[in-house]
Formats: sequence, C-alpha cells, structure tokens
Amino acid sequence: MNKNLNLNKKLYKIKAIKIAIRDFSHLADFDIKKELDYYIVKMKNINKEAADVIIDEFCNYVLYLMKKL
Amino acid sequence: MKKGIKNIINIKLDTSVYPLEAIYSAAYVFLDKVYIYLDSADSGKNINVNLKSKNNKDIESLKGEFLNELLHSVHRMHIYKNNKKIREYIVERALFSSVDENNNDDFDDPLGIAVPWEEKYGDKQ
Repeated sequence: MNKNLNLNKKLYKIKAIKIAIRDFSHLADFDIKKELDYYIVKMKNINKEAADVIIDEFCNYVLYLMKKL
Repeated sequence: MKKGIKNIINIKLDTSVYPLEAIYSAAYVFLDKVYIYLDSADSGKNINVNLKSKNNKDIESLKGEFLNELLHSVHRMHIYKNNKKIREYIVERALFSSVDENNNDDFDDPLGIAVPWEEKYGDKQ
C-alpha cells in the first residue's frame, strides 16, 4: 500500500523530516519531494492495517524532533 | 472505537495571537495524548491544528486542555521576552562580581617578574 503525507514547509523542518524518515525506514519505503509549499513524503509498501497509525506517529515524531533539534 | 464518537478536531489559530513557537511548545506537551498535524492555507498567518485522539479519549476535553496549554506557552513567551534585560543584567553582575573577587593586588613575586621594564632598567639608560 502507498500513502502520501503533505507537510507544510513553513511549519515542518526538513532536517527533522529526514531524521524521522531514517528512523521509520523499517516500516515503509520513504521518498521525499519538494513542491511549492509542501514537502511530500511518499510511503510505499506500508502495512495496510497500520498505515494510518504509522503516518500519525510519523507526524508526531517530526514535531518531537523539531523541539529537540 | 465507539461508533458516533468524534476523535478528530480542527482548531484554527491566528499567529498574531498565538505565535508559532507557542503552538510548537503546546503541541510538544500533547504528543503522548493526541496525534497532531499542522497546516496553513495562508503562508502561516493562520495555523490549522488537527488533533486526533489516541486511545478513544474525549477529543473536546483534549481540545480544551490543549488551548489551556497554548495559553501557558504564550504567557511564558511574554514573560521571557519582558524579563530579557533583567536576566542579562543579573548575569552580567554575577560575572562582574566573579572577576572582581579574583583581582588581588597583593600577590607574591619572588623573582621580580612583575616589575615593569622601565622601573627595572630605566635608570641605567
């Protein structure tokens, strides 16, 4: 299953997103793309039943990293 | 999850009232209680905060707690900003006092190294 997550560039830091991708890499195949106002985080081969939870946890983890960095 | 129970809520925040840093601080406190997603449709002037309840907790109650925490964050930011000069003054005084205590005009100089050149050899020229 594939999912996309749009993270607003003004609100989320790319450094935190990249670290989160690294730390979540065992749960899906990640790719990141920059568009006009958003970072598009593409998740491939994500577990269908856990997809929503993984995306939610990923968002929270990025916010956590932004506080720590 | 119980049917009919809403577990997602959206809050629109004006950043002129609730600065982004305060939103981040409040969000950080709530990471263990809710899933948080931030977005903005107007380049950051207003922030849409999506809260999704974890573990079927009442989202309206969590929204209220989040807004309270947000107020705390804003208040802390104001206090920090208003006390900046006093903090700097206190630190400067503390450092100045420390340096002043270390100045000791009476110290041993058995080899006469601290004597100025002019004082030591000036008469010979």
